[in-house]
Amino acid sequence: MAARVLLLISLLTGPAMLAWAIPRQAATTVQEEAAISAASDASKQAGDQTPAAPQTDPNEKKDAKPQHKIHVRLGTVSMGLGYSYFSGPYYYPYSVFGFYPYGVAYPAFFCDPFWCAYPSLLNPVYSGSLAYAEDKGQVKLTADPKTAEVHIDGGYAGTADQLKTMWLDSGAYDLSLSAKGRKAFHQRIYILSRKSLKVLARLEPEEEPDRAREKGVKP
Amino acid sequence: MNRKILLGLVWLAAAPVIASGPRGTVPKASANRYPSHAEKGGVSVGAALLTSDEVRKTFVSEVNRCCVVVEVAFYPAKDKPQAVSLDDFSARVTGTETAVKPSSATVVAASIQKSAESRRDITVSPSVGIGYESGPYGGHGTYKAVGVAVQVSEPGSHSGSSERDRDTMITELSEKGLPEGTASAPVSGYLYFPLTKKKETPLQLDCVLNGNKVSLTLP
Repeated sequence: MAARVLLLISLLTGPAMLAWAIPRQAATTVQEEAAISAASDASKQAGDQTPAAPQTDPNEKKDAKPQHKIHVRLGTVSMGLGYSYFSGPYYYPYSVFGFYPYGVAYPAFFCDPFWCAYPSLLNPVYSGSLAYAEDKGQVKLTADPKTAEVHIDGGYAGTADQLKTMWLDSGAYDLSLSAKGRKAFHQRIYILSRKSLKVLARLEPEEEPDRAREKGVKP
Repeated sequence: MNRKILLGLVWLAAAPVIASGPRGTVPKASANRYPSHAEKGGVSVGAALLTSDEVRKTFVSEVNRCCVVVEVAFYPAKDKPQAVSLDDFSARVTGTETAVKPSSATVVAASIQKSAESRRDITVSPSVGIGYESGPYGGHGTYKAVGVAVQVSEPGSHSGSSERDRDTMITELSEKGLPEGTASAPVSGYLYFPLTKKKETPLQLDCVLNGNKVSLTLP
């Protein structure tokens, strides 16, 4: 029976702090790119697009390679510090070397540091259609007042304080907020997967009926 | 009975128009409010070139990847509707000969999607560990470990690379784009030109107003 005391300090700095880009190839001219896109998209909108640049220099065609951009990022930096006391009768080789740091550093080594660091906070099984999923986009809603009712495409979704962060499928939505004594807030929002959108909804107070009547009356 | 059927048919015909959402932007009070403006035959036009920062704030779609964005507003003469068509516009970077027509939302979205698909992220995650262990049998020691994990993102795992994202981008770009058709009231919206230009280089926007060519320099 082994009694082990393990002291572990693991510092996981936040994901993706530093990024630098190495644009390896971006020589395709935008005009050509648009023309290529127009050709590939003919099934959806045939003839809708005027050719972008008929006067494009023919010499540029030699650069018409597929675009590849490589971005190199610094991911999670993991540091482990440990101590263990081994008192059991069995001797196994790893223990002689003390604390084995791969146990701590494993997530950073073998999976995406963006997601592995916070596995339990945003799990799709915990809530309904506004819950996190990898192919959804995030809406960060800040509202004044916080008790405002939130409607998405006309359907009640909850109150603003409950929906500070929500995840929606890629698409366009009509977001509206309403609260008693306040003017309604409407915004058309567009959600792309893996993208975050901040919405600040400040619902202005409605004018009191008496004051509105006073304004309407000409002296 | 016939009246009900007729009303139903009218509703069915109008449904796609109603469902298509808002179009364009809200025009300013007059063309003079835009950095560049002109007037020809009673029709005024105002235009403003959006900086890349403004584009980032205005669009969820990453339009900066392929295009420059110009906001254009038309002010038709009283009781004289004005035809608005993308074909009436062209733009070129001042000092160059190549002029381009504005791209449709479908083409711009396809271009952005293509760019997102080709993007690859390489994440480098360094890891450091130090350990010490001791036990009653005299076994003790320290362990130091240094490691680097390299993760290459899968193709198509970026925002804007899926088909659904592409549809969303088409919706956003077309809803914010300059509405085509006959305008009897002021209209405004964005035009997407497949151009790349330096920050300080002005753009020249040419448009046809009632058969007359008008040139605007956009700083």
